[in-house]
Amino acid sequence: MTDSSTVSFTLVITGAPYSSQAPQTALSFARATINAGHRIDRVFLYGDGVHLASALGTPPSDEPHWPDEWSQFLTENGVPGVACIASALRRGLVDENEQKRYELPSSNLRAPFEIAGLGEWVEGRVKSTRTLYFHAGD
Amino acid sequence: MSTLIMIDQPPYSAWTGREALDMAFSLAAFDQPVSLLFTGAGVNWLRQNQEAGGIGQKSVEKNLSAAPIFGVEAVLAEHSACNTYGLDENSLIKGVTLVDADAALLANYEHTAFAG
Repeated sequence: MTDSSTVSFTLVITGAPYSSQAPQTALSFARATINAGHRIDRVFLYGDGVHLASALGTPPSDEPHWPDEWSQFLTENGVPGVACIASALRRGLVDENEQKRYELPSSNLRAPFEIAGLGEWVEGRVKSTRTLYFHAGD
Repeated sequence: MSTLIMIDQPPYSAWTGREALDMAFSLAAFDQPVSLLFTGAGVNWLRQNQEAGGIGQKSVEKNLSAAPIFGVEAVLAEHSACNTYGLDENSLIKGVTLVDADAALLANYEHTAFAG
């Protein structure tokens, strides 16, 4: 038996909110993980998953705000949220550093997400007991 | 910790194939053993003489031919899918190994991943 106190997860989300179920399913899994006393080392957004880290998404008020719910979860539980820089730049998601570097009119990265390279994913895979992928499924 | 990155989508449609390739290159850059497996329509990535300029894309052939240089251990293609799409040794790019994409193959890897 694995000591449950040592079980940790890296979650990879590749599906965008409001295009796919991936962010919701991942959030349900993440909440269950914490409730069960396990640890989430980091959440890595890749491909279309980076749209979850946009500060500009504004769903109708009677719909769940998945980016906001994810931000709250990450902040409350001290879990790092990282958007892949190559995926993010292609899709128009930038932090203040990238805004300056590319002289863009604004930045739109939602706190507490950060932008970093695939090395974060590689490190998470090595560090965590399990790495789970949440895809759009198409 | 050996990893198999799988590509099951054809080139030039979704961007997930290119992003899967980036994942493989990234693992190799950090000295993590990694191989690529093309299955289903994904085997069309491995076709020779792709001319993607007509649709404003860059050919993925160049990216793939760089795989061994970046340290990707093997480029594998599902044999039956190659048959389906009429691909053989003469029409595939160099350095591709034809395999059966079955449980015995996957058992060689501790991790498997898709980009999307």
